[in-house]
Amino acid sequence: MRKWSPVEILVFLVALACIIPVALIFLTAFKPDSEIIQFNGFFPHEWTLTHFREVLGRPEEIPIFRWLFNSVFISSSVTLLVLTVDSMAAYALSRLNLRGGKWIFAIILATMMVPGQILLVPVYLILSKLHWLDTPWALIVPAGAGAFGVFLLHQFFKGIPRELEEAAMIDGCSSWEIYWRIMLPLSKPALATLAIFTFIGSWNSFTEPLVFLDSVENYTLPVGIALFQSSYANEYGLTLAASVICTLPIIVIFLLFHKHIIKGIATAGLKE
Amino acid sequence: MTYRLRLLAILHLALSLCILSVTSCDRSSSTVHSPVKLRFWNGFTGPDGRTMLALVKQFNESNPDIYVTMQRMDWGLYYNKLFVAGIGGRAPEVFVVHADSLARFTRANFVRPVDDLVGKNGIVDPSDFDENVWHATERDGKHWAVPLDIHLLGMFYNRAMFRKAGIVDAKGEPKPPTNREEFIDDLRKLKGINGPDSWGFVYTWQRTNVYTAIRQNGGDMFNADHTKTTINSPQNVEALQWCADLVLKEKLAPAPQDFDAWVGFLQGKVGIAFEGIYMLPDLRKQDGKLDYAAAPVPLLFKQPAAWANSHSLCLRANLSGPELEAAKRFVKFLSDHTLDWAAAGQIPVRKSLRASERFQHMNEQREFAKEIPYAAYFPAVPYNFEYMTEYEYGIEKALRGSQTPQQALDSAAVKITRIMNRFNGDSGATP
Amino acid sequence: MTRGRRRSAWNYLFLAPYLSIFLVFLVIPLLFGLWISFQEYELARKAGDVPQFIGLRNYNDALHDDYFWKALWVTTKFVIFSVPITIISALLISVGIESIRGKREQAYRVAIFLPTMITISVAGILWRWFYNSEFGVFNAILPVKVPWLLTPNWAMTSTIIMTLWWTVGGPVVILLAGLKQIPEAYYEAASIDGAVGWRKFFFVTLPLLRNVLLFVTVISVIGAWQIFGQPFIMTAGGPERGTLVLVLYIYAQAFNNFHMGYGAAMSWLLFLIIVVFSVIQFRVMRER
Repeated sequence: MRKWSPVEILVFLVALACIIPVALIFLTAFKPDSEIIQFNGFFPHEWTLTHFREVLGRPEEIPIFRWLFNSVFISSSVTLLVLTVDSMAAYALSRLNLRGGKWIFAIILATMMVPGQILLVPVYLILSKLHWLDTPWALIVPAGAGAFGVFLLHQFFKGIPRELEEAAMIDGCSSWEIYWRIMLPLSKPALATLAIFTFIGSWNSFTEPLVFLDSVENYTLPVGIALFQSSYANEYGLTLAASVICTLPIIVIFLLFHKHIIKGIATAGLKE
Repeated sequence: MTYRLRLLAILHLALSLCILSVTSCDRSSSTVHSPVKLRFWNGFTGPDGRTMLALVKQFNESNPDIYVTMQRMDWGLYYNKLFVAGIGGRAPEVFVVHADSLARFTRANFVRPVDDLVGKNGIVDPSDFDENVWHATERDGKHWAVPLDIHLLGMFYNRAMFRKAGIVDAKGEPKPPTNREEFIDDLRKLKGINGPDSWGFVYTWQRTNVYTAIRQNGGDMFNADHTKTTINSPQNVEALQWCADLVLKEKLAPAPQDFDAWVGFLQGKVGIAFEGIYMLPDLRKQDGKLDYAAAPVPLLFKQPAAWANSHSLCLRANLSGPELEAAKRFVKFLSDHTLDWAAAGQIPVRKSLRASERFQHMNEQREFAKEIPYAAYFPAVPYNFEYMTEYEYGIEKALRGSQTPQQALDSAAVKITRIMNRFNGDSGATP
Repeated sequence: MTRGRRRSAWNYLFLAPYLSIFLVFLVIPLLFGLWISFQEYELARKAGDVPQFIGLRNYNDALHDDYFWKALWVTTKFVIFSVPITIISALLISVGIESIRGKREQAYRVAIFLPTMITISVAGILWRWFYNSEFGVFNAILPVKVPWLLTPNWAMTSTIIMTLWWTVGGPVVILLAGLKQIPEAYYEAASIDGAVGWRKFFFVTLPLLRNVLLFVTVISVIGAWQIFGQPFIMTAGGPERGTLVLVLYIYAQAFNNFHMGYGAAMSWLLFLIIVVFSVIQFRVMRER
């Protein structure tokens, strides 16, 4: 083992400070109520499964699996939608020399400045006219309007050498075939980055589901848990158990794919 | 795209189609022969929600021709969602509204009056209710809801702390205060009795605690016909001053800490808290580790008063035909079963039920029920959420000492007047 | 020959799916929102009332609404404190991690990024419990009792600390990637010139990291202006409106009180503020 430099010790402490709160969700969920109310150390003196039993054992009252399912469904739908429409648009804008394409791209880019909040009220009213409120569509389709993916893929496509495309064209490939057989396979890293971003963004989004969904069984996990909090304000044990169930899948995914996720975020940041 | 990605996409599409077909199946199954479906919305999210779910289940089992589905969410969000659903034409058939929030919903025209449904042979008999309680759901000469319960503000006190401080009667039993002198005296004795951060009294829900003081002092939020706010009246300022002095001058209560204050009571660090009867399940959860009892709020000012509110059962506007018949049966069932409901920390509003043997054994509820004759409901105005924000902001500033009660209530009055003008202006007439 | 084919109308079909969503859920809402902001658009209106065109009254109301100004002030405070703290911490952490090589570097990166993966409601609930004055973790560990969420200033401080924990991972990862792009040769050159430690950091690392830093800062500022979840869950805007940030106030006006027009007008004001801020930032940081 190498020796620990003073800098590393500092970094280690910071890393610890980041992890401990997350670890506490897990540890405290196994504490009995009395130990939660009087904090007595990080580890439970007496391990209990009561809170989990309560959270999982009352599907009528706490439809936590419904929420999990909704979250997975909505986030993966959004990811699929964004990958499809954004890659097509980015391809057209970067490669097909469309008349007015430059303008369209500029307008799309300009909307990246628009904060999501400003759209909340009008999108809400539009969704209400479409009768999409309180359905998953209210969260899936509007999420496809973001400009970030188009921008990211546009930059990536621009970097792919023209030669491949021209060769394919001589072979008589249509632009659709070029898109599908050349551009997409070549841009797997960029697509993966976009997919990760979109999935996380959708999974963690809070304001939109809070406003657009009415029925408890249609909620996503973040909104479901928040609801839970205000109702069971005194029942931290229950709330923490629910949080564990909510957080565990994401942490597992994160630990499995952390290399991709971190690399994706890093490349997105540098693609300025 | 890679094989795996494509597989994932296909799986996903299949999943989506499944969901679509499930949802459409749901719609087509509501044929003529299936039971009448009722949606029942409320904000019962805590232990009371569990009790209500059990009641709904019981109703469904004994009424196979009706199927009630219950949905609940936290009250704050609930009102917002209920309103939006009502506007969008998606209002549930039966829903719960607090008596003091009713005006907002009747104004938007999505509650059905119940005058033709009640009476000697109706779903409930108005004469079985206390007059002030029944009146709380009345507006524009009509009755809009059937009160399910009444939750009053009462006094919970820690018997162990009372004993330790020597606040006992001749028999050595803890003796709760009944007037201002006893109250102040007890607070002095209780302060610090269980360690340096223990107190005689804390403000748990400031809104209800201060309103009780205001009403005991003869004040209120608006004049009789709700055309003008009286929030900064001399009585109100005086009441709030007394409440603030308790913290700032007398140092007999800690700086307001909202929710944590209640936890302090649970932890046995607080002698007295004025809270709603709905806190009972929370107290019972302490498994005998907390020796508590209930009593009416002491007389702190001129006249007895205790904040109260009623969960009221409403029907959707224009409800008719089989759905109305089903809803009537359901409302009657709930009203008839309010003793089960009360066990979860509520007080039945029907006098006949309160006279029952079973109710006499509900100690805390029985104590709080003594306050019914002087129950103090917040005035029912359609802008109740808006003015409540200003009222709470005002009393918070006063209790924290960042403004004097006069200043705080004066600025609340200005804001509330503006809210009233806005409300009355855009609707063209005084509601 | 290829020109003609490339320009065929058919190629526009590639754009069609995205553009239709873009139009319906971004462009139209933007204009619709502007239109609503000129109306008395009340969701809670009396049956039969229709929205009234009232010109700039909503904007005028906002400028005369001291709660709007209070919310703006609270949000400004948050941006002014939270962004520099987050960015400087991220910079220090990333430089620290960069100096460590091998397996452990990876582990630190994962650890510091982990909180970002926690959804806001779980994170908010968790920290609300940490901060609880009676049975919270912090007050149990610390020798003094801190009123974390109980006074306006402490509540703002607590929100900033929690936000630091929750959001520092993103900037760290991006800055780390930026650091890795700086060729070793620059440092070597600087060493030959006699630069060590802090001097290296200020004269080599910082200038070369400028663009990445600018990007990270702008993104953080835009995000900070839109803070919502943290106060929504931890403090509900209190105490004494001390954490009632703009978006929370807009949310309350639009979706609790149903003043849609007023909410839309305030959203537009927030948008203007963000645009002005971002432009200034680009100007200032580019010029340096």
